[in-house]
Amino acid sequence: MGLNYQLVLWNNHKKTYDKLIVLGMLLYIILFAVVTLVFNSETSIETLVIRAFGSLAIIMLHIILVIGPLARLNSAFLPILYNRRHLGVSMFIAAFIHGGFSMFQFHALGDVNPIYSIFISNMDYGSLTDFPFQVLGFLALLILFVMASTSHDFFLGNLSAKTWKRLHMMVYAAYALIIAHVFLGAFQQETSPFTIGILVFGFILVSSLHLITAFKEGHIDTAKTEEKEGWLKVCDISEIEEDRAKIFTVEKERIAIFKYDGKLSAIHNVCKHQGGPLGEGKIIDGCITCPWHGYQYLPANGQSPPPFTEKVATYELKLDGKTVYINPKAFEEGTEVNPCKI
Amino acid sequence: MEIVIKIFLGILGVYTLIGILFGVFFLIKAPKIDPLMADTKKKVRFLLFPGVAATWPFLIGKLFNSKTA
Repeated sequence: MGLNYQLVLWNNHKKTYDKLIVLGMLLYIILFAVVTLVFNSETSIETLVIRAFGSLAIIMLHIILVIGPLARLNSAFLPILYNRRHLGVSMFIAAFIHGGFSMFQFHALGDVNPIYSIFISNMDYGSLTDFPFQVLGFLALLILFVMASTSHDFFLGNLSAKTWKRLHMMVYAAYALIIAHVFLGAFQQETSPFTIGILVFGFILVSSLHLITAFKEGHIDTAKTEEKEGWLKVCDISEIEEDRAKIFTVEKERIAIFKYDGKLSAIHNVCKHQGGPLGEGKIIDGCITCPWHGYQYLPANGQSPPPFTEKVATYELKLDGKTVYINPKAFEEGTEVNPCKI
Repeated sequence: MEIVIKIFLGILGVYTLIGILFGVFFLIKAPKIDPLMADTKKKVRFLLFPGVAATWPFLIGKLFNSKTA
């Protein structure tokens, strides 16, 4: 949300989270090094760095993958979601150190181009137990690079939110490549049992949380409702918390119905910034605030407060007793609609 | 298999080279891609450079659009 671009969108909260990320990463590396050297003092420094940063990147990737579902299941996790972008870039840095050291140790000291060497040093592509698993790690690192390097509002605006989102959904392809990279590496004893343990536990956790969230969201979208003279019944007014919203699906579009200051307003649920769920945010300083990155919209007209220019579609509401009804016909983005008085 | 690898890495190399050249162009003429870059600090261009180089096929269209506009 802005009229120019900032190097990094920092505020006090984000600075605190970033400090926690750096501290957490440092503590993990130190702990990993101490435990490794205690139990296997013959480990070389290169191997230690490769394993420490590789396992760190895997742990961080799992945290990134579970933040979304957790925040949808429980709003207490939303603050972590706000900082997912920085966590993603930090994870790429850890993966890059792992990949860089691996390439240096195994491929850079010969007379073949190191990247070419990754692909041809082991040509057993038809074998499961001898598969050149480093190739999979290289491809995953390429995807993570594209994602980390486009983690800026410039790319959201210029690639379009749809393309940007598709690009960043490639995290699941990277995740699949990383799983294969680690498991196939294990056959060649290049992967520690610790890392495999993290991966098995992490895979179960990530897939379970995604399935639970998909079930919950599917329930929202398939909920049946009554129609009354062109208006659709949403809910009893008591079901909407003050300064919060209820998400309601009309013709496959999600709408967020907010209750605030004795009024009700409805806007399209999808934030213009990154497709965040506005209905999972709350009213702050009179504005609907996206839970993902804090983009704001005025409830009555769906417009970002001036000088910002983002706007979303609005909807008409009415109250019949204590029952909230919505007109399913969307107004043009940014159209002023009188709030429904309670 | 070796020929497939050579073709893949060749394409990757050419893609990267064009990306770097486009990235250098972006460092100099960023507002031609996005007018908001005119009021943005120059150091932001360096931060965006790797992403611009990686996604040049998506951004190069912006350059032609701004020329025809």
